Amino acid sequence: MWNTLALLVPAFPLAAAAVAAAAGWRRSTAWLAPTAAVAVIADGVALSVRVLDHGPVTALNDLVRIDALSAFMILVIGLVAFIATAYGVSYIRAELDHGHTDAAGARIYGVLVCLFVAAMLAGVVANNLGVLWVAVEATTISTAFLVGHRRTRASLEASWKYTVIGSVGVALAFLGTVLVYFASRHAGGSGQAALNWTALVAEAPRLDPGVMRLAVGMLVLGYGTKVGLAPMHTWLPDAHSQAPAPVSALMSGVLLSVAFYALLRYKVIADVTLGPGYLRGLLVAGALLSLTVAASLLIAQRDYKRLLAYSSIEHMGLIALGTAIGSPLAISAALLHILGHGIAKAVAFCSSGEVLLAEGTTEITGVRGLLAARPLVGGTFGLALIAVLGFPPFSLFASELAIARAGVADGLGWAVAIALVLLLVIFAAVVGHAQHMLLGEPAGELEGHHTPRAAGAVLVAGLLAAAVLGVSIWPIERLLHAAARVVTG
Amino acid sequence: MSDTVYVQLLDLAAGLVLVCAFVALWRRGLVAIVRALAVQGVALAAVALLLGLHQHDLETIVVAVLVFSLKGVVIPRVLLRIVSSSGESREVEPLVNVPASLLAAAGLVLLAYATTRNVVALDPSPETRAIPIGVAVALIGFFALATRRKAVTQIVGFLLVDNGIALVAFLATSGVPLVVELGVALDVLLAVLILQVLVSRMRTKFGAMDLDQLRELHD
Amino acid sequence: MTLPRLAVALAQALLVIGAAPVLVGVMRRVRARLEGRTGPSLSQPWRDIRKLFRKQRIVPANSSWVFSAAPVVLVSTAALVSGIVPFLSTRSAFDQVGDLFAVVYLLLLGTVFLALAGLDSGSAFGGMGASRAMTIAALAEPTILLAIFALSVGAGSSNLGAIVSATLTHPGRVASPASVLAFAALAIVTLAETGRLPIDNPSTHLELTMIHEAMILQYSGPDLALVELAGQMRLVIFLGLLSNLFVPWGVATTTHPLQLLAAAAVTLAKITVLAISVAVFEVFVAKLRLFRVPELLAASFVLAFLAVTASFFVA
Repeated sequence: MWNTLALLVPAFPLAAAAVAAAAGWRRSTAWLAPTAAVAVIADGVALSVRVLDHGPVTALNDLVRIDALSAFMILVIGLVAFIATAYGVSYIRAELDHGHTDAAGARIYGVLVCLFVAAMLAGVVANNLGVLWVAVEATTISTAFLVGHRRTRASLEASWKYTVIGSVGVALAFLGTVLVYFASRHAGGSGQAALNWTALVAEAPRLDPGVMRLAVGMLVLGYGTKVGLAPMHTWLPDAHSQAPAPVSALMSGVLLSVAFYALLRYKVIADVTLGPGYLRGLLVAGALLSLTVAASLLIAQRDYKRLLAYSSIEHMGLIALGTAIGSPLAISAALLHILGHGIAKAVAFCSSGEVLLAEGTTEITGVRGLLAARPLVGGTFGLALIAVLGFPPFSLFASELAIARAGVADGLGWAVAIALVLLLVIFAAVVGHAQHMLLGEPAGELEGHHTPRAAGAVLVAGLLAAAVLGVSIWPIERLLHAAARVVTG
Repeated sequence: MSDTVYVQLLDLAAGLVLVCAFVALWRRGLVAIVRALAVQGVALAAVALLLGLHQHDLETIVVAVLVFSLKGVVIPRVLLRIVSSSGESREVEPLVNVPASLLAAAGLVLLAYATTRNVVALDPSPETRAIPIGVAVALIGFFALATRRKAVTQIVGFLLVDNGIALVAFLATSGVPLVVELGVALDVLLAVLILQVLVSRMRTKFGAMDLDQLRELHD
Repeated sequence: MTLPRLAVALAQALLVIGAAPVLVGVMRRVRARLEGRTGPSLSQPWRDIRKLFRKQRIVPANSSWVFSAAPVVLVSTAALVSGIVPFLSTRSAFDQVGDLFAVVYLLLLGTVFLALAGLDSGSAFGGMGASRAMTIAALAEPTILLAIFALSVGAGSSNLGAIVSATLTHPGRVASPASVLAFAALAIVTLAETGRLPIDNPSTHLELTMIHEAMILQYSGPDLALVELAGQMRLVIFLGLLSNLFVPWGVATTTHPLQLLAAAAVTLAKITVLAISVAVFEVFVAKLRLFRVPELLAASFVLAFLAVTASFFVA
């Protein structure tokens, strides 16, 4: 029964995609995607309980394997997918009403979003690293048209850059995967099983270090492109700002983390074969470079969606830094950061979607007095920004603090210090822009768009979840530590 | 097939893959570049076929047929459709001029040999000795991606990267597991189709394929 | 430097001097026939040279010794190279010095002197031709070096005779990737260095399209005869290199006179075949615009480079 539950995880959104393709976008089918997300969360909870008590769940002859880390990621994907798709219902309805899209566009949107979520879930439950690669590539393909949903010049440009750079990155990751397979075959693996993560971890001491060094370098470059680590980040601001708000929420909130999950899997192998120093060096370099890029380009930012996108780059840098530190505390903090960032960024992007629908522009200077004119939208947007900046009571504060402590304790104090300085710069920049948007007198008359209650409820619920997590991680504490133990070995 | 003949044919096919990459950098006409890519796809399929025949492995031969139809026929046809519907058939002067590109590509071949020394040393066989060629083709593809302005030539660069990595995959392991290979082939086809649709949309919106015009999004 | 070997070298030089104009006559005849004309007789180039020797020698007023020395340097270096290169036998008189680098530098010496003479003549076209010729030489010389070096890696020595003997003992090497690439590179460079289409039109009358012709525009009388002869000898030398390095069967490995005679016949036949194919190729191809020439030569350089890489890593 557990194998069936494991296989059902990606099956729920796949089924939703099939129905969406057949029936198109209507009131009834629109809520299928959030329903599928709820099913995924429930399935994830059940699997987590099972994994914590009885060890990993396998299916399909070891092709699918759910351990604590996979279960944790299932929960992250499910939660963020719920927020994004639930909000997406009202967003698409508003777009249809305003004429920004048509029925065909809405149908394609519905299908692609479900396929996107299904691909991510397939990636995290796969034991075979080749299947993981296929899943990540599938996310690139399914989001290519989602980014260009609005069919404007800017979104076409963003879609082109995203597809080309993303595909190249994934191709590099494939090269790395091939080299890992090569090394594995020579250390005794055979056939399809040679790319299974469990088999690779077992053979890790026997893998050839020279080949693995090249392979891990390629993998960091390749998957790092999908994560948005600098200097491979150039597609991220364009893609995440031009995509419709729910899609940006999914991409920023959880796709980046899924790509990083791939790196976490390889870290376990690389740390045994090459020693922890190699990957640590690469990740610290990527982290600090990402933070620098985010800080420097947030200062003079003019578009609030790009602002959120650069903030994603910043947070991916922080997660990379936590992973580089590598101690159990740091990894737990990084995983918590993945969850917290996913929820907070999803809410931020969704409320930015409301801002766009209300104000009609994505420019920071074009929005004023949001708190006064639309308290719900302004409030959620402002609180989401505060959460993303790492303020208490939201969980990102706790995870950032933990990463800093772990870094100082483990010899990377200098990197943490640089990161904190850059975080300060980012804080100043974002607060400056947010204050312009939120405070002051509203620009003109209140226009037609009213936030539906459902959408508002989703956003507030997301913020509450982030706040609760920040106060105490009790609900997920055991799972978090078990997942961290998978990475640290 | 005797061993020496096999090694010579393998080297010939792998060398042809590399020469096609250079031709793609050298020629200016878009149709000629797409034809070079088609020849490269056929050479890649030949490598897979040789490997399959040498090891009497049916899976690899199936993959060879798949690669031939996909990279030798279907994808070049899609690209030619993009080129013919555009009305322009010449590449504007790329960011790096042709002689410099060719010399840079020669340098990239050296770089490929230098970085894959460990890989060849792990298992010195005729197959692995040609792995640096695949890496070199991938590097040349990156170079083409970075220095070309027309959308079709960027797609060509991406396909060069993919062909190079596929060559490495075939040689390093005599084919990655069939599942992954199918996934890869499907992904490449889908990516190219997506890019084709994007190009046609770009043409309606921008009126041209010149990627230099895509400069609206920046900070 | 024994007597038989000296004789071989002398024989090679005389053969090249004698055969070069005839070969050019063959090429012109073939081209004419393909273009629908009857064409000049095969001995016409010889008659032209003889005629020029009887004409008056005119020298530009402001030229220096370079102008007068260049034709002599050209012919002497060409003759020396034809003594070194293994046309008839792999046992030449200049074994110690007769290696790849010496040959390339001797040929380059001739090119440089001709370019200097073009500058020295003081005419605008001379300078223009000289600069164009140097652009081509800058890309072509490294290509020759690399292409023959690729072959020398397999043979273990850069001595041309040793390379030819090595190919004779290991015939399979002719089809190796290094060899094929080197042949392609050397073929393109041959066309460039000898001023044939598609790089330079040898029968053009328009000064603005000239490269080689522009440099020799001011020469007359015996000087012009020597320059023309040297140009034809260089063509034979390059074609001989192409044929004997890659298809060495027929080259003698001793200094026996009968073997030398046979080798002479075979080599001449091979060179004639190559010359006819060049002439046919010229009929069907158009001259490249000047700024495209570096692209073609860069491509041939890359081919030579790949040949060297292949010779180190593949074979």
